[in-house]
Formats: sequence, C-alpha cells, structure tokens
Amino acid sequence: MNGKIVVDHLSKTFKKGGVQAVKDVSFKVEEGEFFAFLGPNGAGKSTIVQILTTLMNATSGTAFVAGFDVIKEPEKVRRHIGAALQETGVDPDLTGREMLELQAWIFGFGKREGRLRAEELLDIVQLTEAAERRIGRYSGGMRRRLDLALTLVHEPAVLFLDEPTTGLDPSNRMAVWEELRRLNKDKGTTIFLTTQYLEEADNLADRISIINDGEIVASGTPKELKARIGSDLIALTPVDGGDEDRTLHLLKSGLMDADVIRKQEKILIYVEEGTRQLLEVARILDRENIEVEDIQLSSPTLDDIFLKITGEGKRSYEQ
Amino acid sequence: MSSNVWRDTWLMTRRNVKTTLRNPFSFIPNLMISAFFLLVYEGGLSGISQLPTFEGANYLAFILPVSIVSAAIGGAGGAGQSIVKDIENGFFSRLLLTPASRLSIVLGPIIAGMLQLFVQTLLIIGIAFLLGLEVQTGMGGVLFVLLIAIGWGLAFAGYSAGVALRTGNAQAAQAGTFIFFPLIFLSTTFVPYELIDAQWLKIAAVINPTTYIFESMRTVLIDGWVFWDMMQGVIAITIVSTLTITFAAVSAKRAVSRG
Ligand SMILES: Nc1ncnc2c1ncn2[C@@H]1O[C@H](COP(=O)(O)OP(=O)(O)O)[C@@H](O)[C@H]1O
Ligand SMILES: [Mg+2]
Repeated sequence: MNGKIVVDHLSKTFKKGGVQAVKDVSFKVEEGEFFAFLGPNGAGKSTIVQILTTLMNATSGTAFVAGFDVIKEPEKVRRHIGAALQETGVDPDLTGREMLELQAWIFGFGKREGRLRAEELLDIVQLTEAAERRIGRYSGGMRRRLDLALTLVHEPAVLFLDEPTTGLDPSNRMAVWEELRRLNKDKGTTIFLTTQYLEEADNLADRISIINDGEIVASGTPKELKARIGSDLIALTPVDGGDEDRTLHLLKSGLMDADVIRKQEKILIYVEEGTRQLLEVARILDRENIEVEDIQLSSPTLDDIFLKITGEGKRSYEQ
Repeated sequence: MSSNVWRDTWLMTRRNVKTTLRNPFSFIPNLMISAFFLLVYEGGLSGISQLPTFEGANYLAFILPVSIVSAAIGGAGGAGQSIVKDIENGFFSRLLLTPASRLSIVLGPIIAGMLQLFVQTLLIIGIAFLLGLEVQTGMGGVLFVLLIAIGWGLAFAGYSAGVALRTGNAQAAQAGTFIFFPLIFLSTTFVPYELIDAQWLKIAAVINPTTYIFESMRTVLIDGWVFWDMMQGVIAITIVSTLTITFAAVSAKRAVSRG
C-alpha cells in the first residue's frame, strides 16, 4: 500500500448547469508529501476532492489514490483515505465520544479497541473535556477538530482536507496546523489540502499547485513559486495627474529582479526582498521627483498572485 | 466485504434509535394526535355505533385502526426525517466516505423508523385496551393488526425515505408526509362506507388504499377471522409497498452513486 495520488487528464462537467468545474487536470503527489491546492472560491477544489475521495465520478480522465483506482475500486480507496470535506460531517445528536466510537466501529475496530481509539483521538484534538457533550453544542472550532479526528480513526495513508481552517479563529487555526504538521512528519501521512490562503499553503505545504477556473495555472515548491511571483509586494499609489507611464517605465528599468504591473490607480511591485527593494523604490522616486500618495509593503494576497499570473499569461507558469 | 452488512446495519440502526430517543419532540406530537383519535372520537362519536349499520359493534374497535394508521405513518416518517437530517448535517457524506455498506447507510434509519412505528402502535393498542377494547379474534387478531400496521408503515417508510434521499431537504420531506395524512380522512375514517353521504368521498374511499387497511383491521377487531376481508389490507400493502420501496431503492441508488 502506498500513499500516492496520481491524477491524469481529469475533467468534470456538471450535468446540472453544464459547468466545466475541472478542466484536464493532471498532477502527482508523492508518498508522505504535503501538497496544497491553492485557489479562490469556485476554482474547482472541492470538486476534485470529491472525485478523489470517491464521492463523485469524473467525466473523463483517471485518478489513483493509495494505489487504487477511485472510479473502479472505490471501496479499497475508502479504507486507505481520510477526508474532511468543506462542510463538517457530524451528527449533532451524538456526543463527541459516541461519534468517534461509531466511526471506529464502522472501520472495523472491535468494541474495546474502538473505545480506546476514541479516547486517544479526543486527547489529540483536545476534546476530552467536551467528550460527553452533544456535538450540537460544540463551537465551530470544536466541530472542526472533531471532524479532523474522525478522519484519523483508521490511520489513513492519505488525508484529504478541503479548506480545513476556513472560518476558524487564529488559535484554532494554529492548533489544526500543528496537528497536520505532526501527522505529516511523524506518521508520514500524505496530505492533500485545499485552501484560499497563500499563507496557509506556504506554511504547511511541500508543494503547491495554484488552481483557477478548473485549471492548474502554476505548480512548485513554495520557494519556487515565490521566486516566480515575488514573496513581497510593494504597492504604491502615485498622486493624481502624475505621469504614470513614466513612473512605470522608470521603476521597471530601475529595479532588478522585480515585476512591476499596474492595477487600476496603483502600481504593484513583486519582489523577493521587500525591505531592501523598498529603499530602492524610494530612491528612484526621490531622484525622479515623483510624488506618491501612498506606499505600502505587504505579502501578496491570492488576488495579487492571480493578477500577476494571468497578467503575464499563464502559459509560462505551466509545468 | 459484504459480510459486514449486518454489523454495519446494526451500528446504523442503533445510532438512529439513540438519536430519535434524544429528540422526543420528533415523535411525541404524532403519538398525541394518534391517542387523540381514540380518546376524542370514542368519547364524542361513539353514539354513532347505535345506528343499525354498526350492528351493535363497539365504536372504539371501529376507530382504533385510524389511530393506529396515524401512529404508523408518524413512526415510519421518522425514517425520512433522519435521512434528511443526516444529509443536511453532512453526516450522510461522512458515512459515504467510510467503507460501511451502502445498503446499511440507508437501511439503518428505515429499520429505526419501523421500530419507532412498532412501539407507537403497541402504545396505542395499550391505550385502547385501557379504554375497554374488546377484540373479536383475541390476541391473534391484535397480532394481525400489528402486522398490518408494520406493513403499511413499511410502505410509508419507503415513500418518506425516497423523498428524503431525492430532495435532501427537510421541507420537501415534510411536505411529502402531508400527502399521506389526508389519505387517512378520505376514507371510511369515522363511519362505514354505507353511511358516507357525499358521492365524491365514496369514490375517494374506494380508490384510497387506506380504506382497505382500515377494513382488514376492523374485520379482525369486530367481525372475526374473515379471510377475504382480511386479505384486502394485505393486497393493498403489497401493491403500495412494492411501489414505494422501488422508489426508495432507486432514490437510494442515486444518492449513494456518484453522479
Ligand atoms: N453539484 C454541483 N452541480 C453543479 N455545479 C457545481 C456543483 N458543485 C460545484 N459546481 C460548480 O463547479 C465550480 C467549482 O466548484 P467547487 O469545486 O466547489 O470550487 P471550490 O471548492 O474551489 O470553491 C463552481 O462553478 C460551482 O458553481
Ligand atoms: Mg470548495
């Protein structure tokens, strides 16, 4: 048994509405790898997760998870994967403990083993104190943690997590991150995570694919992607009535290793080392007597990255 | 892997029974309405049974089947309600992600609904005995009445589970239940066929399968072991449950398959 994911020319068109949610997507995740799908709402992330976890059929293409064909051998796939979907899947009328025990028994644990496993997992996701309470009274964060625990009952080789931290407060998010890191490092679990947050993918993943509109538009390690995209973003707003074309031209020619593009009234500069480059930008502006209303240094958001990739033409970012 | 069907079904059923008991308001209202038929109509309408058509029969025994069918429908409707609840909570998907047998995932709530029906029907019969029910055919007749209730409940459980699986929506499933309830009244609910005045109600009663359920129960409660009169109900159940269970099976297949 292996923890690989191999996806080949996968497409999905929904009969209802005729939306092509996944367009000829191919990728591989190695055993023990932490892989992230980064993309905005509607990109097709959940659709891919549902196909890979045997909940949905693809329109065309093939996918193998843990060595089994998701279309032809769904039962075998289910034994080796754990999945936390975008919406949690718990019964609000059961207690946390009952929910975990039920899950363990469904996966074939004996009565006693199931009890012990539930106890163990409650401890891991820090729900021991709430174990006897009904899930209906859990907070969103507690529900998420329980949902995660449910996916771990049978120690799956591959773990799918569809936006596991969306809607969580920072402390719960950190707790989930910690647990995912531990699973990946200590247990060697292959993790397939989807997220809308660059920061999350950057922090956790060994490799990231950026998906937009059903297509993979860029792939690589966080470092590689950042090298292409620039890990920092300088955004400046020139004063009204200035010569923006000239400013753009001066910045483009004056800065090394930087991508300069225009977005509405702003000029965006993607760079590797923000602080050093910020000084350089200030020097150019000062020398050329260009006035600016505002200048900011930040990390690029997903929006900024898409703008950059699509702005340059996504061809060059395909692998 | 099919060796696990029994174990999975047991796990699913037990969990459904547990969660039903934790939501008493999912069954108490229906139970009260059903008991209400007995108490109120026995108290208020029992004078009707002095009419010659009743041939001196006990009105309690006449109205009891109405109460039982109402309890049976309410109990069996619990199956659909549990399924809808699971779909809305994402728990249905969680189950589909496990290796649990697909059959058990759908069967669990249906069996739990049938158990609910069984207990509710027993309670109603118990109340009727407390009110002084006398059964022409004795305990054998009570058993037959129970079997008819279970059969008719199964027919309705198939229907409610089918609607639930198809829509995954609580309102739609609820609306589906309301189609079955009027059937109780468009029938020989309060008086025998001969005493129904309106032509349209006579026609409705003849078409309505519930009429045959009532008649077969009343046969054993009031008249005795009259084979063909008893068979009316059995035939109605066979026809209707074949339809609804096929509907449930097709809907279930669609819900667990991967469109
Ligand atoms: N069951 C469905 N039927 C029809 N269209 C769907 C369905 N699920 C998703 N879609 C459409 O497919 C596209 C991708 O959706 P999804 O995979 O949920 O994206 P993401 O998870 O990245 O937000 C969207 O345009 C969405 O509207
Ligand atoms: Mg999604």
